[in-house]
Parts: sequence; C-alpha cells; structure tokens
Amino acid sequence: MANKKGYVSFVLHAHLPFIHHPESEDYLEEQWLYEAISETYIPLLLNFKKLEEEKVNFRITMSLTPPLLNMLDNKLLQQRYIKYLKKHIELSEKELVRVKNNEKEYNLAKYYFERYSKDLHVFRDVYNCNIIQGFKHFQDIGVLEIITCGATHGYFPILYITEQTVKAQIAVGVQTYEKYFGRKPRGIWLPECGYVPEADKYLKEFGIDYIITESHGILYANPTPIYGTFAPIVSPEGVVAFGRDIESSRQVWSSINGYPGDFNYREFYRDIGYDAPYDYIKPYIASNGARVHTGLKYYRITGKDCEKDYYNIQWAKDSAEKQAGHFFDSREAQIDKLAPIMGNPPIILCPYDAELYGHWWYEGPYWLYILFKKIYYDDCNFELITPSEYIDKYPLMQVSTPCRSSWGANGYSEVWLNQTNDYVHRHLHVAGDRMVELTHLYPNEDKDSLRRKALNQCARELLLAQSSDWLFIITNGTMVDYAKKRIKDHIGRFTKLYYQIKDDKIDEKFLKDINKIDCIFPEIDYMIYY
Amino acid sequence: MPRKSKDELDILDNEKINKNKTSTKRNNTKKSVATSKLNSMENKTESKVKRTKSSQKSKIVKDESPKSKKITSTKSSKTTSASKKTTSSKVTKKASSSAKSTKKRATKKLSNEKTKTIISNVEYYDLPYRYNQTVIKILAQTPTNLFVYWDISDEDRNFYIEKYGEDFFNNTKPVLIITNKTMNYSFEVEINDYANSWYVHLNDADCDYSVELGRRPIYTNSNIAEYIYISTSNDIEMPNNHILFDRLGKSVFFRNIKNNFVEEKEVSSISFIKNIGKVYNIYELYQEIYKNEIEMEELNKNNIKLNLSSSNSSTFK
Repeated sequence: MANKKGYVSFVLHAHLPFIHHPESEDYLEEQWLYEAISETYIPLLLNFKKLEEEKVNFRITMSLTPPLLNMLDNKLLQQRYIKYLKKHIELSEKELVRVKNNEKEYNLAKYYFERYSKDLHVFRDVYNCNIIQGFKHFQDIGVLEIITCGATHGYFPILYITEQTVKAQIAVGVQTYEKYFGRKPRGIWLPECGYVPEADKYLKEFGIDYIITESHGILYANPTPIYGTFAPIVSPEGVVAFGRDIESSRQVWSSINGYPGDFNYREFYRDIGYDAPYDYIKPYIASNGARVHTGLKYYRITGKDCEKDYYNIQWAKDSAEKQAGHFFDSREAQIDKLAPIMGNPPIILCPYDAELYGHWWYEGPYWLYILFKKIYYDDCNFELITPSEYIDKYPLMQVSTPCRSSWGANGYSEVWLNQTNDYVHRHLHVAGDRMVELTHLYPNEDKDSLRRKALNQCARELLLAQSSDWLFIITNGTMVDYAKKRIKDHIGRFTKLYYQIKDDKIDEKFLKDINKIDCIFPEIDYMIYY
Repeated sequence: MPRKSKDELDILDNEKINKNKTSTKRNNTKKSVATSKLNSMENKTESKVKRTKSSQKSKIVKDESPKSKKITSTKSSKTTSASKKTTSSKVTKKASSSAKSTKKRATKKLSNEKTKTIISNVEYYDLPYRYNQTVIKILAQTPTNLFVYWDISDEDRNFYIEKYGEDFFNNTKPVLIITNKTMNYSFEVEINDYANSWYVHLNDADCDYSVELGRRPIYTNSNIAEYIYISTSNDIEMPNNHILFDRLGKSVFFRNIKNNFVEEKEVSSISFIKNIGKVYNIYELYQEIYKNEIEMEELNKNNIKLNLSSSNSSTFK
C-alpha cells in the first residue's frame, strides 16, 4: 500500500426470490434461477478461478441472499437446472444443423454448445451440483467477502411498523449465512438498501458490523458526513454504513452512455426464442407455446434503431477491455482529487446487482476479470478492498445517523409503496402482528409437536409473503399475476394456519403439503418473533 | 374441475364466517355496513382517481435498473398481466381471477401427469377484504408523501351508531388530522367513505408525524358533536431529503469502533468540507449550489436543499 492513496470496493448483490414449484414444471419464473446460474454465477466463479490461477490478488464482496442460498441448495432445483442445461445443449446442437450455411451464426451456435456443455461439467462434476461451495472457496482463500441479507428480502421501511418482523428478517438472514458458511456475517445488504434507524439495534444484536446504503443514505445523514460517501460513518447504535459512489455507478448504470450499452455487446432482446421458426423452437419455449428467451442470442447491440449485426465475441471482449481501462483511469483520477483532502484514504464503493453482470450485461464478468487484473498489475494509486478490511484498517469514523433511504427509483419507498401495490401492506402488517401474537400465545412449543411445526410454517409463509420482489414486480408491470398470486398464497396459507393453530385444529396433511412447496429455512425457529 | 373443499375455506371465507357470527344481533347495522361496502367496491375507481390527484407526483418513474431481470418474462404473461388497475372492481376481479386460476391448473394437470400428485390439496386464496379491526397506520412513501390506511371494526361502528343514531355514518364524513410533532402543527384532510387508504402530501420532510382518524358532521345543524375521534396511527419519522449543512455545528464527533474512543473534530479544520463543492462538482451534482463558490460560512447559514434524484437520474435504480 506504499503508493496507494485510496481504495475501490466492489459489492455485488446476488438475489432471486424463492421460487420452488414441485407441483409443476411449468412455472417460467423458476427459470430466473437457471438463467442467473448460467449467465452470472458460473461466469463469476470461472473468472474468479482464472484470477486465482493467475495469482492475481483481488477483492470483491458479494451478498448471497437467503432465498438464493436455499434455492441453490435445493435438490429438485439442482436437478431441474441440469435438465435446463441438457435442453440448451440439445438446442444448440440442433442449431449447428439449422444455421450451418451461415458461418457467423454457426460459430455462435458452436460457442453456445460449448458454453452450456461447460456449465454442465462445472455444475455437475466440479461443484457437485452445489455452487455455494464455489463461492465459499473464494471466501475461504480471502478474496471474496460474502455478506448476508434480510431473510426473504423484506423491505424494512415498510415492515418496521411491527419491529419483530424486521428482527426476524435479520435473524434468519444471519442464521442462514452461518449454516452455509460456518461463520457469522460481518456485513448485510439491506434489502433494496432500505434503511431505517429502527433496525440498527437488531443489526447489532445479531453481530452485523456494516451495511450498504444508497448515496443519499450517507449524504443526507445527520449530522452531515464531512467526507461524503468516501468514508464510512457509524450510527449512534454502532452500525457502520458505506454509501454508494455516484460517479462510478453512473458509468456502469447510465442508460444513455453506461458501459453495458456498448454497440459491440450482446443484444439481450434478440433471441432465437423469438426469431426461430415456431414449430422448430416450440419444444424450447414456454409449455403453453408462448415464445420466451432461450439464452441463444446471435446479435450485438449494433446501434439505436438499426438493423442488428451479428455478435462478435472478440469485438465484445475488446470493448470490455477498453471500458475496464476507462473505469480504471476514472477511479485513479477520482482518488487523485480526493486523497489530499481526506482524513483516511478514500473508499469508492461500487455496489451493483450481481445479475447485471452476465445476465443483463453479458460481458460484465469478463469486464470485472480484466479490471481486477489491471488493478493488480498496473501501476496505480488505489487498491481493491472489502468493507470489513477497510473498517479494520481505519476504525475511526464519524458518528452520524444515515438517512432513511433505498436504492429504488427516486431514492425512497415509491417502488414498493404506490397505487399499484399499496393494497398489500395492510395484509403484511396484520400477518406480522398475528405472528407475534402466536409466539406469545404458544411460546416454546415442544420440539416435535405438531403445533411447533405449524408455527414454524407460519413463520415461513410470513417471510415469503414479505419478499420485496412481489411488490417490485407489480410496480414493474411484468409477471404481475404471478407476484399477486404469491402474495395471496402466502398470506392465505399463513392465515389458514393461524386459525387452525388458534382453534387447535391443525390439518396435518395441509401442513405437510404446503411445507413441500414453501420449504425455505428448514431449521427456522418461530420464537424469533417473540 | 378442482374446487376448494369445505375444509379448505380460504381466508376470505374465514373472515366472512367470523363476521357473520357476530352480525346476527345487529341486522340494521349490518345492512348499512354492507351497502356502504358495496358502494365502496363499486366506487373504488372513482376514489382511485381522487387519490391519484393528491399524489400524482409520486407516480413511479420507470425503473432502469437491472432489477428488470424480471422482464425475462414471456410475451403471453405480459399480455395477461396488463390489467394493472388492481382495485378497479373487487367483485369482478375475484371472479375472473378464480376462473383464470382454475383454467391454468387444468391445463397444467394435463401437461404434467408426473407431478400432479405431489400437492393434492388444490388451494385458492384471495386476500381478505378487511380484518374487521379499528386500525390506522402510516408509512412514508417519500420524504413528503405519507401513505395512510385505515379501517373501523363492526363493533366500533355499532358503538357510534348506538351513541349517535342510525345515520351516523351518513351524516358525518371521515377526516384525517395530520400532526407534525416536530414542528408542532396539525392540518386536516377531508376524505371519503369510498376509500380505505390515502396519500397525503406534506410540506416538511424529516419530521415526526402521526395521523388521527375522526369524523365531522356534514350538516351544521346536526346534533352530533363537532368532531368525533376514532383512532390514532403509529408515529413515524419522515425521511430527510437534503444535505443538512444547516444543522452541522462547529464540530463533529468521530468514534474509533474498535475501542469506542470518541474524538471531536472542528469542521473548519477539515479540508474536505471546504472542498466539498469541488469534489462533488466532479459529478455535476452540486453545480447549482456551488456555481458561485459559496463559502463554508454561508453554507452554515443557509438551508440548502438538494434533490439528488432530479439532477442525477441514474443514481437511483
């Protein structure tokens, strides 16, 4: 660190809502997981691996949320992912025949064939169907810091009216982390970066050192943090908050000139699921015959409102390398300006949705790989760091209460509370109150009693109903029916069990049936709501 | 056709049953409640329009975030889910969605012989229309928009009817009294019985608020008191929406989180705060404020309001 004047910290938030339907294979929503594994999680792991093999010392932080961990650990979903891969391999094999007269398409079909075959090998043979181990490995060798998240990504600024529901989100988030990683998490990704000071005492209670907030979580804090987002602050309760850097986010995120919009990058919206002849593609699209993305995409972004040109892997790589260079130079310049006027060396925190890398921005994982390599080998004024390492090095920080905020559109709660979804909140609040009521009516039930099982299932149903994802989807206007159904199902199952418990008429079969579907958090203890 | 069996009553039915149990004694009331409910269902669209007016500003901006991963949806689901107006008509909604869901299940069953036995209990749920509790709760939607929802239990309705007469709910109108506890003032918003939630615009962010639900007589010559209190909400602190330079004193405190040792630092001695304008000019963010190189002393005097979202749309997803 002799000539290092500052730090850059990458935080990738990997999250998907818990989607598990043993009763049917027709839920397209289940594919979000498979797409994310193939396009984001495996590519990240493979790039980390390459860096490890090349002895590049790097640092990255990732939140792997409890629903995601539960799904990655789920045998049925693992089997279905293998099935998904086999179908993709089959389809790309067929493509090799269908497009054999078009060299560019043929080369891409071959690329997809090899890529999905490799995914299958990596998933089944290297990771034994469980990629959590892959991430754990990188945490164990010290290059990756994994942090936790709220149990089901429940949005604290809406839930905190019944504080125990926030406490439970944190408690189960920490417990799930311990189960998979064998230690306590030091950091938490607050679901949607939704910060309320009321959660601080619970974060402390469960041993959380730090949180990530949106930029104005720090900039609007009280009293004003005098180093802006370039140094963490500590709340009066003792929770350290890091704020998102504005400039670096904009470089990646901007819809106008953000990196993912490069014309050489793969075009997400052109997919053979829509382009190939219907009868040919039918076995690989939705079971009801609706055309959907297959993941096989032959075009690059090319330009605005123009005919799309074929995707060229080398050109895409060239663009990623150029942009990694740009990002690198920008951080150097930023740190040059900041370092002389700071107390401690500045930290530039760059949090992103993990699924941006690979799923949306196909070349994102490669971009990270190049960038990390560049930071390691090139002469530069900064170093990569994790928030924990920064705290340990520079424990002196300003005392200030972060601003109530989120990373949703406009920075507060509009995405999760607006006229499309506000009807949900009273149900979430009532269910939360009822869960607390149940724990006080029936505390510490016997370990194997039916009532305890029912109470634990109530806790699962409540947690699942609280996923911020459902509210987000309703606001966003796609897959709305599914999100609404999930809210109804979980509130419905919760309420039915609530009455059964209170009437002492627990329907064992019903309990067993819903436990098969909503099997998240097998070890949950409902007393977290006490 | 899979239909719910008797012992699989959904929660709506549960609520109904509970209600019916207690409603036999008070036929008259029940009727008026029922009609008002019906009215409220039918007029939901109308009330929605009214509500929209009060909170038009809060219309959700299109999200350009990666969260649109959920757009990996099918074209078909896009079309089926186009009906965004969830509250347009509860009655029709329920009917159509139940029909939809049974249809979906039927096709699924055909296409999926293998998995059909896993879950034998076919479930269908709808959210309860209400929980028959007297409640008022508030949430912060934005620093200056407060969301409030409420309900009055049948028992409480009866209480008021017994006390003030059968036409109590026809002769009075609901009001919300919003109290800013930090700045110690209140104001009143007239609402209507067709709505069960509302968005209230506030002038002052970053303050503590609570809201009271009450009723006022519609006619001045009525024999009902001027104001009838019903219930009070939870307290909330609205988010802050600007940099609090105005509250920054002469010094700030630093804590070493390893040993909890606290240090006091004078703000004027910290070079960052003197340069903050330049630093953030990098982002073209604070240009407006710093275009004339405002000195720190002036900053301390003025209450500077920044709106990050308007100057930097890409900051927030």
